[in-house]
Amino acid sequence: MIKQLIILFYFLTGVLTPSISIALVIGSDQEEIYIDANFSGEELLVFGAFYSDPSQSRDSKSDILIEVVGPPEDVALRKKDSYFGFWLNSKSVTFRDVPGFYYLSSTSKLTDEFLTNNQIGLLERKKSEMIDWSSLTTDWGSIIDEKEKEEFYYALIRTKQNDSLYKQVSDEIEIIDGNLFRSYIDIPNTVPVGEYSVNLHLIIDNEISQKYSYNFMVTRVGIEEAIYSFSKNYPFFYGLISLIIAIIIGWSGAEIFKRFRRI
Amino acid sequence: MSIYLPIAELSVNIFLLLSLGGVVGFLSGMFGLGGGFLMTPLLIFIGIPTNVAVATSANQIVASSISGTLGHWRQGLVDFKMGGVLLIGAFFGSILGVWIFSKLVAIGQIDTVISILYFALLTGIGLSMLIESSKVIRDRIRRKSVKRKIHYHNWAHRLPFKVRFYKSKLYISVIPPIIIGFVIGILSATMGIGGAFILIPAMIYFLGMPTSKVIGTSLFQIIFITALVTILHATTTFAVDAVLAFFLILSSVIGAQVGVLAANKLRGEEIRALLAIIVLGVATKIALDLLVEPNEIFNLSVIRLVF
Repeated sequence: MIKQLIILFYFLTGVLTPSISIALVIGSDQEEIYIDANFSGEELLVFGAFYSDPSQSRDSKSDILIEVVGPPEDVALRKKDSYFGFWLNSKSVTFRDVPGFYYLSSTSKLTDEFLTNNQIGLLERKKSEMIDWSSLTTDWGSIIDEKEKEEFYYALIRTKQNDSLYKQVSDEIEIIDGNLFRSYIDIPNTVPVGEYSVNLHLIIDNEISQKYSYNFMVTRVGIEEAIYSFSKNYPFFYGLISLIIAIIIGWSGAEIFKRFRRI
Repeated sequence: MSIYLPIAELSVNIFLLLSLGGVVGFLSGMFGLGGGFLMTPLLIFIGIPTNVAVATSANQIVASSISGTLGHWRQGLVDFKMGGVLLIGAFFGSILGVWIFSKLVAIGQIDTVISILYFALLTGIGLSMLIESSKVIRDRIRRKSVKRKIHYHNWAHRLPFKVRFYKSKLYISVIPPIIIGFVIGILSATMGIGGAFILIPAMIYFLGMPTSKVIGTSLFQIIFITALVTILHATTTFAVDAVLAFFLILSSVIGAQVGVLAANKLRGEEIRALLAIIVLGVATKIALDLLVEPNEIFNLSVIRLVF
């Protein structure tokens, strides 16, 4: 579902380094994603252009990288173990402030080394020899073994991927005419509400040449917001109204059917 | 066509919700079950978070139980006095149940304990009902005349505080129904169900109530238990989804009425045999979930920060 295009032009020529004369121009089709009764996920369009100075050599390889990071949340990850043939929850790890949504896309597959060096990529960064747990606040509980910690870390990413909340791709950015790019990003219906940031990077010869970031909001609106905030602010009355609705429908359903049976 | 659920925080297909509510409602009207033990796992199966599934199905059971009770009441099949006595026990049981529930959540074992509880209860009840009802059906096919006592005396008749239940043609102590109500209250609050599938056999086999009165009476008291559970969930877990409940209620109420009509066309033991098969089916599924190695041995739950 693509909304009316609201084009935001950001010419970044001012911050260019004199040696490589490439500008990144980006836009997005919306600054806000509204969750209303009909919300069933959305496609976020991110597009832009990169201009290169014709006098520069064309040999240098340039790539576009788009990163979308959702609001932080705390998650509990539980592992099942077999006890006497039963698969039961056993060990549990709490990860704090992990992104509720994460998307990473680039025009060509980026090396782990590049991602590690530039601290990009929740998914790939940890593959390096030295795992940097310090960037994540984690309550490991009874787990001390490094191998097991790693297993939990990959399981966190895997379970988020299975829910379509984490994704890393290298073939979703469309390049048009050599210097225009466009990408449709799937925002699934399970996304958390809050502030999201979109980070764009222009990469030339494996070096980040330019960065640009902007934020957008995912917010509940209309009846969705009304019901949600009522349930949080007046839980007793919310429960009571839920009950009254149940009683009315239950009762009237029986009455209507009574008439039917008489006919 | 899909609808976004504000508390579950995801969107689902409306027709899927309506057909799910309709089928569960039909079974609830037919068997006098709240349907929670089917509704809760089915909601989880379509991707609704466990706490929302439990809390919302309690809310839905209120509606389908009211609808079903009215149907049975008009036919004079509700023993309000027995229902009231059961409720006294159920009230205290559900308070204890909520306390147990919160302890299990705190140690992260609620899912496991509930699965094992479900499995044990459903298997035991399903098997005993299947054996009992198939014996009756077999005897009927052999044209044996089965003498059924109007009432039989067991330990329930030897306890003090005896009260006459005219509707059920019983003169028994109030202690057994209060204890049964208490146990149902605990199970209702911890498992997010009405508890009819335990209540009904308990009323038939422990109290000796006539099968015809059992369904209406259990529905009657389930209304109040699940109403209490709904309020408790709305105020403690914030997991009652009004939009989800609305669609489930709408379809389950219609399904329940059709189910009541269908129940009148079938003999008591056939209803019980069918119920036994459904109960065993659910038990088997729970057993498989516990015994078969899952594809993903990790499961993730978001601990939302309440601002």
